[in-house]
Amino acid sequence: MGSLSLLSYKVRKNPVVTVLLPLLALLSIYMLVFRTDDSILGIQRLDIANHKWAHEAEGTWYFPFTSRFKMPRYSYKSQHNWLFNDHVDDIIPEGHIAHYDLNKLHARADAAIDKERVLILTPLQSFDQRYWDNIMQLSYPRELIELGFIIPRTKTGEDALKQLEAAVKRVQSDKKNQRFAKVTILKQDSQSFDKLQEKERHALSVQKERRAAMALARNELLFSTIGPHTSWVLWLDADIVETPVNLIQDMTAHDKAVLAANVFQRYHDNDKNEDAIRPYDFNNWQESDIGRELASKMQPDEIIVEGYAEIATYRPLMAHFHNANNPVDEEMMLDGVGGGCTLVKAEVHRDGAMFPNFPFYHLIETEGFAKMAKRLNYEVFGLPNYLVYHKEEFNN
Amino acid sequence: MKASSSKGSRWFSTSIISILGSIITIILLVRLVLPSSLSLTASMFKPYVPNFKNVPDVEFYDLRNYQGHKDGWQRGDKILFCVPLRDAAEHLPMFFDHLNAMTYPHNLIDLSFLVSDSSDDTMGVLLSNLQNAQSQKDKSKRFGNIEIFEKDFGQIIGQSFSDRHGFAAQGPRRKLMARARNWLGSVAIKPYHSWVYWRDVDVETIPTTIMEDLMHHDKDVIVPNVWRPLPDWLGNIQPYDLNSWKESEGGMQLADSLDEDAVIVEGYPEYATWRPHLAYMRDPNGDPEEEMQLDGIGGVSILSKAKVFRTGSHFPAFSFQKHAETEAFGKLSRAMNYNVVGLPHYVIWHIYEPSTEDLKHMAWMAEEEKRKVEETRIKEFYDKIWDSGFDDVRDDWASEKSDILLNIDLTSDPQKKVEVDWSDDDVEMQEANAALAANAKAAMANGNAQAQAQAQAAVDAANAAAANAAAGNNIGMKAAAPQPAAPGFEVAADFDPSKN
Repeated sequence: MGSLSLLSYKVRKNPVVTVLLPLLALLSIYMLVFRTDDSILGIQRLDIANHKWAHEAEGTWYFPFTSRFKMPRYSYKSQHNWLFNDHVDDIIPEGHIAHYDLNKLHARADAAIDKERVLILTPLQSFDQRYWDNIMQLSYPRELIELGFIIPRTKTGEDALKQLEAAVKRVQSDKKNQRFAKVTILKQDSQSFDKLQEKERHALSVQKERRAAMALARNELLFSTIGPHTSWVLWLDADIVETPVNLIQDMTAHDKAVLAANVFQRYHDNDKNEDAIRPYDFNNWQESDIGRELASKMQPDEIIVEGYAEIATYRPLMAHFHNANNPVDEEMMLDGVGGGCTLVKAEVHRDGAMFPNFPFYHLIETEGFAKMAKRLNYEVFGLPNYLVYHKEEFNN
Repeated sequence: MKASSSKGSRWFSTSIISILGSIITIILLVRLVLPSSLSLTASMFKPYVPNFKNVPDVEFYDLRNYQGHKDGWQRGDKILFCVPLRDAAEHLPMFFDHLNAMTYPHNLIDLSFLVSDSSDDTMGVLLSNLQNAQSQKDKSKRFGNIEIFEKDFGQIIGQSFSDRHGFAAQGPRRKLMARARNWLGSVAIKPYHSWVYWRDVDVETIPTTIMEDLMHHDKDVIVPNVWRPLPDWLGNIQPYDLNSWKESEGGMQLADSLDEDAVIVEGYPEYATWRPHLAYMRDPNGDPEEEMQLDGIGGVSILSKAKVFRTGSHFPAFSFQKHAETEAFGKLSRAMNYNVVGLPHYVIWHIYEPSTEDLKHMAWMAEEEKRKVEETRIKEFYDKIWDSGFDDVRDDWASEKSDILLNIDLTSDPQKKVEVDWSDDDVEMQEANAALAANAKAAMANGNAQAQAQAQAAVDAANAAAANAAAGNNIGMKAAAPQPAAPGFEVAADFDPSKN
């Protein structure tokens, strides 16, 4: 109260305030009572008063984006530096209009007679002369064979590329009927698939990473090379050094969507002191109940791989079904396949079956591919008594 | 002293400049004279590149050169332009107009078409349009490599809007379309493609810089927002592509509840996923550069780096995580660790195709339109007849009403006694009523039909007389009334003798 009376006292004493206060009061009365227009809310100057919806501002309902924003102005000047440039242009074929009728494309038992094209695909970590010699001795007509290689971006890859270049040049400069229909060599840019040496590459912990990289390489190779003429795709590892001469004819004769040969390995049995064979590829298997149960308990990002004591699936492995006394053309239903020597109808890949680089039903790479083919309603088979041979490993 | 030192320093600087200049010149000359692939520099700075120039049917590609740049049009990135076609002849001319207007260097665009299960002349129209495009005078307007593939997959459902968009048809239809897309993608993509662009033909409005607009975001998979125009009566515009969405809790729960081969499709009440759709995220005033992470995408216009398809991502023709085709492509690409992005405020416009419901409604509207025209025509005619054929006596009635209803109490109280003033009652009227009563009595006595007929005649006569005398109806007709006024007749009917 005291401060209030002090204030009124000061007001009375100060002539300026005595004049100003009534004036101020009058002004505010005028503002509040007599001025009738809207300006008291102060909205005339604001956007809301003359707001326009976007379609009104643009004059149409159908505009890609409002003209309040501008897309960047694009320059079309070439960024190609002709002076300091280590980039070597690849030779790209000239353009044309081509017309292909894929309805006429087929993959049937009499592949060689029907002149069906086979694409042999190999991820090439290292070049083995015996692998190449084996390819060269295949009896399937060479004008119906296309080759595809993908080479990792590593030192060993570079060496393999040089050897492959020499080999390819030799055959493609040969007589016309000795040449392959087409050879495509790719250099990989994704994660390299051969970083790990033979010894550690089978360790369980690195399997997922290694096989994911391998899956990427296989896909890159497959989708870059599969063409409108391709009827069959034969996946043949660079380590497969011995196959029957009639490999392609024998396998196409089964007329199966996916068909895996049994990969064995020759070795010298020191105990008996004689040459012998042993199973090598354990990725060809039938699903087991235990395997299914294992999968159902797994985290979504975990994978099952065959041939490790840590994951005992008790799956029937095709490698163990080999019996030299049984007929060679015996077939066996499979749920997982390896990539050692597997023949696939091109339509399976065209429908989308690829090599997952992520856990697909807890499977990865070739085994995941088999699962995907099954999801696309194709059947997967193996030939337990039809043997191809992996090269020896000298790491023990 | 001062002069000489400045002279010396000038000499010094000029000599340095000349030395530097000659060194640079020598380096440049060396670089120019020795071609870029020289083994000296090559072995030092870059990986080994084999030379297959003169070897037939051998191709070498370093995939590092085809990873896709964000300014691909300046770096010569080749685009594979994939278009699946089915019964699309009518849309092709519009599509080729869009193609020709595109600002991306045409020689860097390779076109690939898949023509499947077409009953119209899609192939013929396509070929003629392509020939026009490739024989343009301006060579920079011509496209790169062009491939047309034909493959029939067998149609399981019709192609009309409602056939295609019905709920039951979605699963099998999407799987079939996925197969078609995969056949096209897998055969068309070459090692030297850096980008892949998937486009439907039935897009009506699209910026000419669509490639650059999508590409400069430098994402693995990117889609614009897709809307469509609607007629006024449906509200002008509508989000079209509901296949671009971000996964939600509801969606995951739904996916878990379905069996392995089920396919979730968006935009149908049967599958409520509560997912945020790219289409509904549109703000017409929004920044077109804004991005949104997606899990499923639609196939109207997808730009993706070629490596995505090359490393195995595709349009699953089976139920992948309960999705198929483009939506599953989004999910698959995410599973393979690629980024999948949509632009909510950057819109391309799909054409409007009326659904069966819409067609019905439009037919009804056309019918209604016709009916309204007919109605106004008839109304005009009637109005004319009415005006010339009838007198409006409502004003007369208003003035005469008080005289005529002089004795009628207009209040509705039934208990009130009605006082009738008979003083100026008409004599003729009394006579007529008397005759009527007499005839009716006679008819009752006779009880036969003849008498009834006579009574009828008598009633007619009485009424005619009454009408002439009183003119007491509210709307009097100028022309002679062909029939007796209704009230009089009713009186006679009450007297029906046969009933007594």
